[in-house]
Amino acid sequence: MALLLPRSLLLRASLRYLWRHPWQLGLALLGVAIGVAVVVAVDLANQSASRAFTLSTEALTGQSTHQVVAGPEGIPEDWYVGLRREHGLRPSAPVVEGFVRLPERDDHSLRVLGVDVFAEAGMRPAIGAITGRVPVGELLAYPDGAVMLASDLARLGLEPGDPLTVRHRGRDHTLRVLEGMTPQRELDATGLRDVLIMDVAAAQELLSREGRLDRVDFVLDERRLAVLSELLPDGARLVEADQRAASLAQMTDAFQLNLQAFSLLALVVGAFLIYNTMTFSVVQRRQLLGMLRATGTTRGEVFRVILLEAAVIGGVGTTAGLLLGLALATVLVDLVTRTIDDLYFALAIRELSVDPASLLRGAALGIGMTIVAALAPAREATAIPPRAALSRSFLEHRRRRWLPLLTVAGVVLGALGVVLLAATGERLTPAFAGLFALILGMALLVPPLLSLSVRLLAPVLGATAGYLGRMTARGVGASLSRTGVAAAALTVAVSAVIGVGVMVDSFRTTFADWLDATLHADVYVSVPGGGAMEPDQRQRLEGVEGVDFVTRSRFVRVGAGDHDARLRVFDIPTPAEEGFRFRAGDPDRAWRAYRDAGAVFVTEPYAWHHGIAVGDTVTLSTARGERPFPVAAVLYDYGTSEGAVIMGRQTYDNHWDDPAVDSLGVYAGDGVSTEGLRERLQSAAAEGEQLLQFQSNREIRTLSLEIFDQTFTITQVLRMLAVLVAVTGVLSALLALSLERAREYAVLRAVGVTPRELGGLVTAQNALVGVLSGLFAMPLGLGLAAALILVINQRSFGWSMDLAVDPWILLQALGLALVAALVAGLYPAWRMARTTPALAMKED
Amino acid sequence: MATDPEHRPIGRRMRWQLGITVAAVLVVLLLLRMWSGGDDTEAPDDDGFDVTGALSGEEDAAGFARVTGPEPLSFPEDHGPHPDYRHEWWYVTGNVRDADDRHFGFQVTLFRFNVAADPPEREAALATNQLWMGHLAITDTESGAFHHRERFVRGAAGLAGGVADPFRIWIEDWEMTGDGEDMMPLRLDFPDDDLGLDITLKPRKPLVLQGEDGYSRKGPEPGNASRYYSYTRLAASGELMVGDTTHGVTGQAWMDREWGTSTLSEDQAGWDWFSIQMEDDRDIMFYHLRRNDGSIDPLSKGLLVEPDGDARVLSLDEVELEAQRHWESGGGTRYPVAWRMQVPNEGLDLRLEAVMDGQELRGAFRYWEGAIRITAEEGPDGVGYAELTGY
Repeated sequence: MALLLPRSLLLRASLRYLWRHPWQLGLALLGVAIGVAVVVAVDLANQSASRAFTLSTEALTGQSTHQVVAGPEGIPEDWYVGLRREHGLRPSAPVVEGFVRLPERDDHSLRVLGVDVFAEAGMRPAIGAITGRVPVGELLAYPDGAVMLASDLARLGLEPGDPLTVRHRGRDHTLRVLEGMTPQRELDATGLRDVLIMDVAAAQELLSREGRLDRVDFVLDERRLAVLSELLPDGARLVEADQRAASLAQMTDAFQLNLQAFSLLALVVGAFLIYNTMTFSVVQRRQLLGMLRATGTTRGEVFRVILLEAAVIGGVGTTAGLLLGLALATVLVDLVTRTIDDLYFALAIRELSVDPASLLRGAALGIGMTIVAALAPAREATAIPPRAALSRSFLEHRRRRWLPLLTVAGVVLGALGVVLLAATGERLTPAFAGLFALILGMALLVPPLLSLSVRLLAPVLGATAGYLGRMTARGVGASLSRTGVAAAALTVAVSAVIGVGVMVDSFRTTFADWLDATLHADVYVSVPGGGAMEPDQRQRLEGVEGVDFVTRSRFVRVGAGDHDARLRVFDIPTPAEEGFRFRAGDPDRAWRAYRDAGAVFVTEPYAWHHGIAVGDTVTLSTARGERPFPVAAVLYDYGTSEGAVIMGRQTYDNHWDDPAVDSLGVYAGDGVSTEGLRERLQSAAAEGEQLLQFQSNREIRTLSLEIFDQTFTITQVLRMLAVLVAVTGVLSALLALSLERAREYAVLRAVGVTPRELGGLVTAQNALVGVLSGLFAMPLGLGLAAALILVINQRSFGWSMDLAVDPWILLQALGLALVAALVAGLYPAWRMARTTPALAMKED
Repeated sequence: MATDPEHRPIGRRMRWQLGITVAAVLVVLLLLRMWSGGDDTEAPDDDGFDVTGALSGEEDAAGFARVTGPEPLSFPEDHGPHPDYRHEWWYVTGNVRDADDRHFGFQVTLFRFNVAADPPEREAALATNQLWMGHLAITDTESGAFHHRERFVRGAAGLAGGVADPFRIWIEDWEMTGDGEDMMPLRLDFPDDDLGLDITLKPRKPLVLQGEDGYSRKGPEPGNASRYYSYTRLAASGELMVGDTTHGVTGQAWMDREWGTSTLSEDQAGWDWFSIQMEDDRDIMFYHLRRNDGSIDPLSKGLLVEPDGDARVLSLDEVELEAQRHWESGGGTRYPVAWRMQVPNEGLDLRLEAVMDGQELRGAFRYWEGAIRITAEEGPDGVGYAELTGY
C-alpha cells in the first residue's frame, strides 16, 4: 500500500484543495449521485417488477413441470376425470382461473384461482395446506367459500367469516371468507397476494365455467409425458410450465431494457461532469503540481493522487447516489409496474424489493465511471513538468491542437452508431450500443463545433456589441477545455430531451390517429372488467330502436405453437370495415380472403415478434386440433405490444364452439342522436341482470390517451432526471470557468469595465454556450428520435410510427438549454461582478 | 348350528364400538397432532386432509341420517355407499404368500365421509359433500419393507364413488369391483407408483352381521349406533406389485363394512384391535378399547366365528391379552408389537407377534396397521392383522 499511496504531503494538498472548493466538490458529488441514483432506481424498479412477476408465477405454477392449457372453450372436466381414473396420471391439478373486482373497494382486482385442494399437495403445497385449516365441507359443498392470504384480509379489513362481494362479468356475487392463510414460504406469502383461492367447482360457478377447466397442471416424468401427449383434448396444448412463464416474462424484457438504457444515459452525462471537475482541478493546480514535482513527487504519485481524488468523489457521490436511488426507486417501481400492467399483464405486487446486486452494480458503475472519467485529467497532471507551471494559454492552445483529433473520433463514433442502428437486424442491444455511440460521437464533436462557431460568431458579435461582444465569443473559444465539456454535457442532455420528446409525441400522434381511424361506432358496450356479455343482454341491446347495425367482438387467447396468441374475433358489417388500416397486404384482396377463405389478419407487433408476413400462415390450436390460417394482411395496431391475430366471426365459428361475444360497437341510424341512443341502450340493459358499461368513441379515445400518457410517465421522469444531471454539469463547468477566470475578470475590472458590464459579459458567454449547445442538440436530438422511433421502438415493441416533429418541442429544448446555462451562470456572474479587483488579482 | 341370540347383541356392540372408536381416535389424534405443533420429521400436519375437518361437529349430528334401531339389511343395495350417513368404510386386510412362499401382508381401505349435512343445490358437477379417502399398504415381510399410499378425492364427477349393483366403488383408479351377488367375488385393483395390488377375494364363510342384525349400538342412546357386517374368511389370490417386481400370491383376507353417523366417546384414547384366522378355520376378532387413564374400557370385546360361520361374542373377561414387547417408530411413537392372548374357554394360548415391527401408516393421520403371525402354545397357529391407534 505504501508504494501505491501518494505521500502525505501530496495527499494533504489534494484534500485541502477539494476542501477549499466546496462548490466544485459539491456539484461533482451531486452529478455522480444523481447519475448513480437514476441507474440504481431504474435497476431496482425493474428488478422489483421482475421479482413480482416471478414470485406470483412461481407460487401459481408451484411444482408443476407441464401444463395443459385450454383454448377459449376450456378443457372438459371429464377429460381430467378420465386421466385420473383411467390413466392414473398423478400428480395433476385442475385449475379454473379468472379475475374479479371488488366493487366496494375501488374496483380492486383479484385473481380467482379455482383448485381442488386435495390435488394441490404435490403441486402447490401452500394451497394444499388449506385442507388442514378449513372445514372441507365448506369448500367442497358450498359455492361461496374463499381463502386468501391473511395479509390480504388485513389489508381489505376482513375477518374469516366475513362476506365479500365480488363482481364478475357485470354480476355481483357474495363470497364468504373462510380463512386467512399464512404460508411459511416467502414465495407463497408474496406470490399469492391478491389471489382468491376457491374450490374448483365454486370457481366454475362464479366464473360461469361449469364443466370446464382452464388448465391442468402436471408433474410429469418421461413416461407420463409420453402418455399425456397422446391424450390431449382438442384445442388444448401441452406446454412446459417454466417455458410458459418465460415467454410471458420475455414480453417485458424490451421495455425493461429501454429503461435501463435511459438510466445509463444519466450516468454518461454524470461522467462528463466528473471529467470536467477533475480536469478543472488539475488545470487550476498546475503551479502547485509543478512545485510538488520539483520537490520530488513522481509522475506516478501525481497520477495516483488524482485518481484517488476521483475515487473519493466517486465513492462519496455513489454512496449518496445509492441512498437517493433507493428513495427514487420507491416512486419508479410504481410507475414501472403500472406501465407493465398497461402494456402486458397484471402484477399484484408493487412494493420495492431491494436486490443487493442492484446496489452493487450501481456502486461499481458509479465509482468505475468516475475513475475512467478522471483518467485523462490525471494523465494531463502527470504531464506538468517539475518547477514549471504551464501557462493556461499554452494548455488551451494544446487542447485546440486536439480538435482535429476530436473531430475525427466524433465522426467515426457517430458513423459507427449509425451503422449499428441501421444494420444490425432485429436485436436490441446493438441498437442501444449504436445509440450510445451516436451520442458520444456527437459529444466529441461539440468542442470543435463550438470552436468553429465562436470563431465565426466573433466578428458578428463584435460588429453588433462592440468589444464586449467580441470578448464574449472569443472568451468561450479561448477556454474551450472548460466550455467544450460543459457544452457537450448540455448538448447530450438536451438532445435526449428532444429525442425522447419527439419520440413520445410521434407515438402519441400516431396512436391518436389510429384511434380516430378505428373508433367508428357511436357507442361501445362491454362488460366492466372484461368477459362475455350474456346473450339476453346482447339481444336486448341489438333490438333497441335507432340502432343501424352493430359490430360484435370476442377477445380470447389461443395456442399458436410456442406461445399463446391474443385472438380478436370481429363480426363486422361491411360499412365498419374502414376501421382497419393496412400496413401490408392489398386491402381488397385481403378482405376477400378474410371473409371468404378463412384468412386472418395480424397486427404489426405480432408480425414483428413472430416474423410473419403477408402470405405466411399462423397455426392456431382450434377446437378441432391445430389448423393453419393464411395471413392476408398486416394491420396497424397500437392496442397491444404483444400483438394479436384478427379473425372473422365466421372463420372462428367454423373452428371453435364458442358463441360468446365480449363487446358491441353500436352504430346509430341516420338522424339518431348518440346521446339518445346511449340512454335507450342503457335502459334496455337495465332490464337484464348483467351490468354493462357504455362508452362513446370520444370517451374511449380520451381514456386510451390517458392510459398512454400514464404509460409514458416513467419515460418523462427519466427524461427530466437526465436534464437535472446536465444542469448540474453545466453549473459546475461554468462555475469552474468563472472561478478560473477570476484574474482575467479582475484585470478587466481594473481597466474600467463596470461590474454591470462584467456581469453582462459573463452572462452573455453563458447564454452563448447555452444557445450553441441547444442548437447542436437539435440534429442530435432528431437523430435520437429517429433512432428511437425507427429502430429501438420498432425492435422493442414492433410498432411503426410516423416521425412527427413538433417545432414547439425544439423551441422548448433550445429554451431549456439557454435557461440551464443562464441559471448555471448566475452565481458565478454575480460573484465575479462583486469581487474587488485587487482581491481577485491576488487569488491563486 | 343356529347363532346364539344371547351373544349377538354384545358382539355387535363390540364392533360398533370399534367403529365409533376409530372415528374418535382419529379426531383425538388429529387434535393432538395439531396442538403439539408438528413433532414429526416428515408429513407435516398441513400435508393432506384434516380428518377433524371431515368429522367436524361430532357433537352435532343434525342433518345426517341416523342409525336408530335394527333394520333388515338389504343386499346388494347395502353393499353400496350410504351418502347421507357421516362415515362409511370398506376395509380389507390379508396375509398372502407368493410361489416362493414369501409372505406379504396387505391392507386396502376406502373411506367415505359426508362433509356437509345439508348442502345447497349446485350447478357444478365437481361440487359435492362426499369426500373419499383411500389407504393402500403392503408389508413385504422378507425384505422388511412397509409401503403405503394415501388418497383423498372428492366423490364427484366420477372421480370417486360407488354403485351397489353391479358392485363397484372407486377412488380414481383404485377400485373394488364385485362380480355377482353380495359383492363377491370381489376384485381389489389398486395400482399406484411402484406399488399396487390386484387381488380377487372369494368368501369361504358367509357374511356375518355384527350387533343386532347389523345394528351395532355404541351407547345407551338408540341413535348412537351403526350398521356393521363382516366377511371374516376370504380366499385371496392375485398379484402384488412392489417396486418393479410383480408377485403372484394366494392367501386369506378379512373384510369389514360399516357406516353410520356416530358420536365419539371422549374418554377413549385408542384401541388395539386384532383379527385372527386360525389353521383350524376358527376366526377371532378382539379388541381392547384403551381409555385416557390407561384402563381398558369394559365395552372391549371380541367375536369368535366357527368354521361353519356361526359366531359368538368373546367378552372382555373371557380373553386375557397382554402386551409383551414394544417398538418405537421413527416419529417417536411407542407401539406394542407382541402379545400373549389366552382364551381358556376355547383352549387357546396364543402368541401374537407383528411379522415386522415397522408397519406404521404415516399419512394425514398416523396409526399402526400390520400383519401378525400367531404361534400357539396351545391350539392352532394362524395369521392375522392388528390395528393400533391412539399411541
